[in-house]
Amino acid sequence: MNRPAALAALVSEAFEGLVRARRMTSLSVVLIAISIGLVGAFFLVAENLRSVVETVRDESTVTVFLKSSATEADRADLERLAQATRLVMKLRRVSPDEARARFSTWWKSLGPAARSLPGNPFPASIEMELEPAAVSSEALPPFLKLLAAHRAAEEVQFDVEWIRRLRGAVALARLTGLVLAALLTLGAAFTIANVVRLTILLHRDEIEILRLVGAPELLIRGPFLLGGLVQGFLGALLALALLWIVTRAVLAWVAATKNALLGVFAVRFLPGSTCLMLIAFGLVAGLLGGILAVRRRNLAG
Amino acid sequence: MIEFYRVAKEYQGRRVLKDVTFKAKKGEFLFLTGPSGAGKSTLLRLIFHAEKPSEGQIIVNGMNVSGMPASRVPALRRSMGIVFQDYKLLPRRTVLENVTYVQKFLGVPAAERRRKAYQTLRLVELHHRMAALPEELSGGEQQRVALARALVNDPVLLIADEPTGNLDHRLASEVMKLLQDVSVRGTTVLVATHDMDLIRAAGRRCVTLDRGRVVEGLVEAALPPQAQGKRGEPEP
Repeated sequence: MNRPAALAALVSEAFEGLVRARRMTSLSVVLIAISIGLVGAFFLVAENLRSVVETVRDESTVTVFLKSSATEADRADLERLAQATRLVMKLRRVSPDEARARFSTWWKSLGPAARSLPGNPFPASIEMELEPAAVSSEALPPFLKLLAAHRAAEEVQFDVEWIRRLRGAVALARLTGLVLAALLTLGAAFTIANVVRLTILLHRDEIEILRLVGAPELLIRGPFLLGGLVQGFLGALLALALLWIVTRAVLAWVAATKNALLGVFAVRFLPGSTCLMLIAFGLVAGLLGGILAVRRRNLAG
Repeated sequence: MIEFYRVAKEYQGRRVLKDVTFKAKKGEFLFLTGPSGAGKSTLLRLIFHAEKPSEGQIIVNGMNVSGMPASRVPALRRSMGIVFQDYKLLPRRTVLENVTYVQKFLGVPAAERRRKAYQTLRLVELHHRMAALPEELSGGEQQRVALARALVNDPVLLIADEPTGNLDHRLASEVMKLLQDVSVRGTTVLVATHDMDLIRAAGRRCVTLDRGRVVEGLVEAALPPQAQGKRGEPEP
């Protein structure tokens, strides 16, 4: 047997079958695209939330504002505490004058007022830049409590809970996406199975004849299996195209609103690995649907 | 080439074939006849494993068909050509596609498929209708397409169920001559027919079935008096 020629014949037969049943094929592809699109939407939300977390995490610096009575020994003690935890990547002392200068830079309109004050109201501080893994470390909350309880500390500024909640939301969105993916992949598989089964019904007479004239079983089942795979693949591609259009539309809307808060969200599309995963969902759904449809009892004459 | 040894076939307790024993040698031309409902079609279906025997052994082309696993059935069927009484043509395929459909999936190059199909269709005088769909053909033409499909693979065994049923006298004679030529080239040919004139004209060995039992003899003995009187009667 000339295998490449046989394979080419199988593929052409599968496409011919899809084109012949083009209405059902289109309906199936749209339904699969909706299923995979919903999954993709969850991943898209998770991805963008994750980017917010990353942005916030990049700025994850603990600031310990010092009492005016804080001595050099206190400062050194605080720094020793920080280094001992291994949560801190970098330490930086900020003097009251530097703090006032920063304030004037960040809030230009209030700068002259700050400078005109008789004394410097800004306290000295120590900025502790955390290690990337520190935000999720179990050791961080006790460390923050230790800093807050130090005799030289006026206030400790770091909202670890907010970041954690945001991370929780990302994890929840991803988990929901995965559960939804599993359910909708099954749903898509059943959609494909039904479409393929209807196609089999349409070709029942042909299948019977092919069996009688000795057509190999692969030839009888192969085109239907391939047809399912192609439907799953096309559905996934359509879903990705729709998600991309939605992402572009949201980007355009964010740009048009000029909303400062929305500016925090640097809207981005799904990474390549997630796109490939969605295509894999489509292919798995197609293969499952095809396998369900070509079981012997469905193909029996 | 075909051996039936004490074969019986039962449907829901009703015996359609009983103790059928006969043998057809390589290159032999054999008729199968008998009244309607005598079991001719069942016997043919047993040969290409569309049915399994309830008892006995069937050897076809050296293969024991009786206990053959399903995975080997397509290869068995491809080793033979089958002409069905109702033609069984693919309705949405052209004459050319019908004749070459299975070959296509066995990887036979398109040019070779076309050449063989043309030669075979020429034998049945349908080479000018290669692009036609079955619905555009008459009953006789469809029958000849079915015959061409059966012949295109140079089968070692050819089974034909009423292959001349829809043909006029001239074409029927042509087809019979063609089938006899095929058998001369070494193909075993088994033709099931009611047409006694055809059997007499051919003068070949004939297996007669009556109420599921086989009577083997020459043309003159093809339909014994008792069998002729019972034509069309339902089987027990």
